[in-house]
Amino acid sequence: MKNEIRIQRLLKEAEHSALQQHTRRHFLKESAMGFGALALGSLLGSCGTQSSDASGSLFDASNPLAPRSPMFPGKAKSVIYLHMAGAPSQLELFSYKPELAKLDGQDCPQSLLEGKKFAFIRGVPKMLGPQAKFKQYGQSGLWLSDNLPHLSTVADDIAMLNAVTTDQFNHAPAQLLMQTGSARLGRPSIGSWVTYGMGSENKNLPGFVVLTSGGNNPDAGKSVWGSGFLPSVYQGVQCRGEGDPVLFIKDPDGMDRDLRKASIDAINKINHDQYEEYQDPEILSRIAQYEMAYKMQISVPEVMNINDEPAYIHEMYGTEPGKTSFANNILLARKLVEKGVRYIQLFDWGWDTHGNSASGSVDIGLVNKCRGVDKAITALILDLKQRGLLDETLIVWGAEFGRTPMQENREGKDMPYKGRDHHAGAFNMWMAGGGIKGGTSYGETDEIGYDIVSGKTEAFDIQATILNQLGFDHEKLTYESQGRPFRLTDVGGKVITDIIS
Amino acid sequence: MIISAVILENITEFIGRFHPILVHLPIGVLLLAALFQLLSRKEKYQSLSSAVSIALFWGMISAIVSCISGYLLSNSGDYDGDLIFNHKWFGIAVANVSIFAYGLNRRNKDNIWVSGLMVLLIIITGHLGGSITHGSDYLFKAFSSNDKDAIKVKRVPIPDINQALAYNDVIRPILTAKCYKCHGPDKQKGKLRLDMPDLILKGGKGGLVIVGGKVDDSELIKRILLAKDNEDHMPPIEQSQLTKSELELLHWWVSSGADFNKKVNALVQTDKIKPILLALQSEEVKEELKISDVPSESVEIADQGSVKKIQGRGIALTAVAQNSNYLAANFVAVEALTEKDLQLLDPIAKQLIWLKLGDSQLNDKMLGSISDLYSLTRLSLERTAISDLGIVQLKNLGKLQYLNLIGTKVSLKGLEQLKGLNELKQIFLFQTLVQPSEVDQLKKLFPKAKIDLGGYKLQFLEGDTTELKDPKLK
Repeated sequence: MKNEIRIQRLLKEAEHSALQQHTRRHFLKESAMGFGALALGSLLGSCGTQSSDASGSLFDASNPLAPRSPMFPGKAKSVIYLHMAGAPSQLELFSYKPELAKLDGQDCPQSLLEGKKFAFIRGVPKMLGPQAKFKQYGQSGLWLSDNLPHLSTVADDIAMLNAVTTDQFNHAPAQLLMQTGSARLGRPSIGSWVTYGMGSENKNLPGFVVLTSGGNNPDAGKSVWGSGFLPSVYQGVQCRGEGDPVLFIKDPDGMDRDLRKASIDAINKINHDQYEEYQDPEILSRIAQYEMAYKMQISVPEVMNINDEPAYIHEMYGTEPGKTSFANNILLARKLVEKGVRYIQLFDWGWDTHGNSASGSVDIGLVNKCRGVDKAITALILDLKQRGLLDETLIVWGAEFGRTPMQENREGKDMPYKGRDHHAGAFNMWMAGGGIKGGTSYGETDEIGYDIVSGKTEAFDIQATILNQLGFDHEKLTYESQGRPFRLTDVGGKVITDIIS
Repeated sequence: MIISAVILENITEFIGRFHPILVHLPIGVLLLAALFQLLSRKEKYQSLSSAVSIALFWGMISAIVSCISGYLLSNSGDYDGDLIFNHKWFGIAVANVSIFAYGLNRRNKDNIWVSGLMVLLIIITGHLGGSITHGSDYLFKAFSSNDKDAIKVKRVPIPDINQALAYNDVIRPILTAKCYKCHGPDKQKGKLRLDMPDLILKGGKGGLVIVGGKVDDSELIKRILLAKDNEDHMPPIEQSQLTKSELELLHWWVSSGADFNKKVNALVQTDKIKPILLALQSEEVKEELKISDVPSESVEIADQGSVKKIQGRGIALTAVAQNSNYLAANFVAVEALTEKDLQLLDPIAKQLIWLKLGDSQLNDKMLGSISDLYSLTRLSLERTAISDLGIVQLKNLGKLQYLNLIGTKVSLKGLEQLKGLNELKQIFLFQTLVQPSEVDQLKKLFPKAKIDLGGYKLQFLEGDTTELKDPKLK
C-alpha cells in the first residue's frame, strides 16, 4: 500500500516536470497548425537566433565541465578575484588627495550635494581628510597608504584603476553588478561565465570555487556566485575554511566507498533514463554534479588542506591552519590555481566603515582589516611569481563601490567614529598578473576623489578585461535564454587596453 | 549672399549624395531595354518591341540624372583622381549613347551594335563606380589573399633605423597601410589627402590635421585616440586599426615637430619610443604577435583519433584557441602517470606547444618520452622527481620559451646541457639545486631568459599580528 502511494507520487512528480518542459514557446511552436499559430510559429522561428559563432556549441550537455579552448590564446589561465565586501575606503588606501586634507572639517560645498543621493548622508556633511599617510612606491611611483606596507613592495606588479564607477550605492545590488553584470538577481556570475566558456582542466575539482571570510557572506548572498540562467553546473562551489570544506562531503557512518559509488551509479542511471525521455539538459548537469561530488570526496579535502604546507609558506602568508581567515583562503586559492581550477572567488566581509563603531571606522577598523589582508595578498603575488604562475594567473582586487570624501552624518547627526558613506561615483580597483602590465595606472579623479576626470571604468569594462585576458571576446561569449542571446557585459564593456601588456 | 552660397553648396552636396542610389536605375533600365531589343527580334517576343522605346526613354533620363548627381557628388571633394575621371567620362558616354539609341529607336532604326556598346559602357562605368566605393581591389580580393589570418603587417625591415628617414621610412608606410584608402589618390574623404607632405600640411575640410610639436592640436592624432565607438574615430571602426606601436610612432613623429626630411637620429627619442623604433629593424612587428608562445605559422589539425585517446586518459587536451590547431595538455588530473601516457603525445608532437606535468610521477626515465615533442614552447615540470640525469632529454626542444623546474633536483650542471635552447625567455628554478651565485652563469647560457630563483620573503611588521584598539575603551 505504502509503496503504491510512493509510486503514485513519483509518477505525479515526473508528469509535473514533463509539463514544465512544455513551455509556452513549445506550445506555440508545436501548435503551428492553427492559422494564428502558423504565423506566430514563423515569427518565433526567426526569434530562435541561431547564432553562427562558436559560442552556440560551447555547452556539451553530456560533459558540461570538459575543458574547452578560449576564442583566442589567452594570457591568463586562471583568475583569483578578491572582493572586499562592504567597500573599503579608497581615500585611505590608494587615492592620494592632499587637497582633501586641507578641507578636513569644513562643510561640504552645496555643489557636491546637489542632485546626489547617498545611502546615509543627510543635510550638509563635513569633509573628512585622508586618515592615512601616503607615499610613492616602486619605479612606477604608485601612491599607496601606510595601511598597505607589504603591498607597497610589489607596487610594480600592480595595474591600478583609479576611476572605477558604478551606479549602485547599496551593497547587495552593487555586488551583483560587479559580479554578474546586473544589479538585479538572475544573471550568471563572472566565474560561471568563465567555467561555461572554458570548462575545468581538472575533472576532479569544480572549475569555480568560492571562499568567504570575515564572518559573513556578502550582502547579496549566494547569488553573487550563482549561475543565473546558465546550467547550474557552472555555479560557484563554496568551500569552507573550517571543518569539512564542503558540507556532507564525508560518507556517513556505515557507508563505504563502494556502496557510495554503487548508489550514485544507480541514481545516475535513473537520471539518464529521465533525460532520454525529457531531454532537459539540467538532468545531465545533475548527473555530472553527482559524479563530480563523488570525485570531490577525495580531491577536495586534499586540496583544501593547508596543514601540509611548509612553515615558510605559513610565515609568508600569515596563515593559521584550522581557522577561517582571509589569509588561509588566499593560500587555498594558490593551491587551487596549481590544481587547474579556473576561477577562484574570494569574499572578505567587514569593510563597511560608516563610523558607527570602532571596527566600522576608517582610522581603526579599516586599519585592522588591512592588516588582515595586506600580507596575504602580497604573499600571493610573490608566491605565484616564484612558482612561475603569475603570468597565467589574473588577480583582481576590488569592491562594490568606494566611500565619500565627506564624513558620514547618519540622520544628520555626528557619528561616534570617523567614517565615510557609500560612494558610487569614484573608487579604486587593481589587477595584477595574467598578462596585465604591472606598474601602470589608468584613470584620474578630481582633487578630492569625488568625481571622475578621465579613464572612467565600469563594472562591464572590468568584466570585459577579465574575459579578454582569458581569451574571450566579451561580446561573443553568449548564452541563449528567454529567446535571445545574453552576455556578461550586456550591451557595454570595453577592454581596458591601457593596462594590458 | 555668403549664407545662400553655403546653403546652395549644402543642397548640391545633398543631391549629389543620391548618386549611389540613382545609378542603379540606368543600369537596370537600360540593360532591360537592350535585352528587350534583342528578344524582340524573335517572333515569339515581337510584342516586346513596343516596350523598348519606353525603357530607353526612362533609362536615358535616369542616366542623365545620374550624371548630374554624380558630378555634384564629385564636387563635394571627397573624391578625386584617375578612378573618378574615368568613371565620370564613361558615365557621360553611357548617357550620350543612350540618347543616341533612343533617337535611333524613335526613327525605327534600332541598331543592336549601338545597344551592345551601351551595355559594355554600363559594365565598365559600374565597375569603376564600385571600385571607388569599395576600393579598387574589391572585386578580385577573393583571389589575392588566401591567407586571411596571416599577420598583415609584414614590413620590409629597416637595416639601420637611426639612419632611416623619419617620415619616408617610418611614418609613410603607416599612412600607406592605414590611411591612403580614403585619404589618398583615389579618394579624399573630408578633402584630406595624406600621400604627399604638402598635402598633409594642407589639411582637410576641418583645417590642419598636423601641428608639428603639438600633439594635442593635431586632429590626426586626436581622431585616432578617440574611443572606437565615437563617430569621429579614425580609421573607421570597420577598417583595420592602427596598432599600438604605430600610434606611438605617429605620436612621436608629430610631437618631435613632424619633420619630413630629418633622419630618425635627428629627432629626440624618448625611452618609450626607442624599443619600438628598434623593432622596425626586424622583419616582424613584435606587437602583432601578442602571444608569442603560440607560433605565428599555421599547422594542420592533429589526428583526432590520437586526441580522443589522450582525452580518454583524463588528460586535459585542448586547442590553445578555437581558431588554432595548436594544442595544450595538462596532466593535473592524471593519477599514476606512466611512460605509456606520455607516449600518447607522440602523434601530436607537431601541434603540442604547451605541456603541464607538474606534481606528477614523472621521473628521469620518463623524460625520454617527451624528448621528441619539438614544438613545445611552454613546459612545466615542477615538483617532479627529475634531476640533472634526465633533463638532458630536453636539449632538442629548441622552441622552448618557458621552463618551470621548481622543486626538482636540477642544478647548474644539468642546465648546462640545455645550452643552445636560445628561445628560452623564462626559467623558474625556485627550490632547485641552483645557487644564487650561479645565476650569472645561467644568464650567459640563456641570454634571452629571465631566471627566477624565487625565495621571496616578506618583512615582518608588528602590524601583521597586532590590532589597533579603540582608544575610547580604556
